Amino acid sequence: MRTTVALPGLRRALIGAVLFGAVSDAASAYTATLTPASPLTVYLQVGVGSFTNDYINGGQPGNNTTVNTVSATVASAAVGNGTAQAMTTNSTATQSYWDGYTYCSVPGQIYIGGFYRTTGAATAAALVTATVPAALTDTTGDTIAFSKIHWTSSGNGDSGAEPFPAGAFVNGGVQNVGSMSSNTWNESCWTFSYLNNTVPPAGTFTGVVRYTLSAP
Amino acid sequence: MIARRCPALRPAFFLAHALSIIWASTAPAKTTTIDDSGTQALEPAVSMRWKTAAPSRSGADNLMVGTTTIRVRINVTPWLHHSGRIYLNLPAQQPGPITASWITQGRLSSGQVHSGNRALIYAGPIATPFIEDVLKFQFGVDGTLMRRSFPVTFHFEMDDG
Repeated sequence: MRTTVALPGLRRALIGAVLFGAVSDAASAYTATLTPASPLTVYLQVGVGSFTNDYINGGQPGNNTTVNTVSATVASAAVGNGTAQAMTTNSTATQSYWDGYTYCSVPGQIYIGGFYRTTGAATAAALVTATVPAALTDTTGDTIAFSKIHWTSSGNGDSGAEPFPAGAFVNGGVQNVGSMSSNTWNESCWTFSYLNNTVPPAGTFTGVVRYTLSAP
Repeated sequence: MIARRCPALRPAFFLAHALSIIWASTAPAKTTTIDDSGTQALEPAVSMRWKTAAPSRSGADNLMVGTTTIRVRINVTPWLHHSGRIYLNLPAQQPGPITASWITQGRLSSGQVHSGNRALIYAGPIATPFIEDVLKFQFGVDGTLMRRSFPVTFHFEMDDG
């Protein structure tokens, strides 16, 4: 009798020990939640820009409010003769902030580059647009159509398609001038020219084009 | 006759003994998950930021990193007064490859591990029921895999074979 009573008690103890061990294992894991913070970053530079250092040396992008100029002075004897006039810039930006490589040449070229950072898989490209006035104007109200200004695109040692290709301004409106794939650095050097195939009145004609980067 | 039989027995004894030693040394260690229910995070969530603010030309450099401090308290009572090897195990999990590195205050070892692997953080005698340390973790994940928040799970395990 004593043996019969003792056996069930021993069985319960063994089963209890097995269950206890299983519960202990199931509770033993630690979870940390990883959360992307400020994941979207955009940077567009036309002319001079600001970086704390080259990207490959840990550089951080900054704000730069400089508005650079591109201009041409046409000699009176050449006005309207159909020979395109090279335009020059007051921009001093020649080196890429990616690695410090001298990518553009001044005063003949103006640097345009940037990127947009986003988490997740590759998205639709970010677009760069130019908001263009209808015309360049002088102080007396005379005009030159903005479409008289064209540009080519290249870069020192570059090959392949440019992210910011060659083009010509529209006469007023917003036009696409390039695009950026997500999480890539994009840059080109633009060389502007004035077509010089009309004869406007003598004067100084100016206009401001604003460039905008729009990320998805 | 007796003098001839004794030498014959000795090689047989030594052979059996040697075999038993070899068998013992190749037996696999028993791995047991350690109760770490006393572990606490000093920050509730890990904020992940781009390691480099700008991307590369090729788009290949998209690492996001984040740090957190975790007060580790693991229950090693079952192995008290024995020796053991404790590992931090980071299982393979979503959203993809994850790296974790950590710096300790000395009770455990600093190290790093890639998801799907484990790293040794302690080897030696178990002299106390609990082992405690404060670990400063840095997690690294490819940002292109990380559209939203996600949990990362790891655990501690003991090899006591």
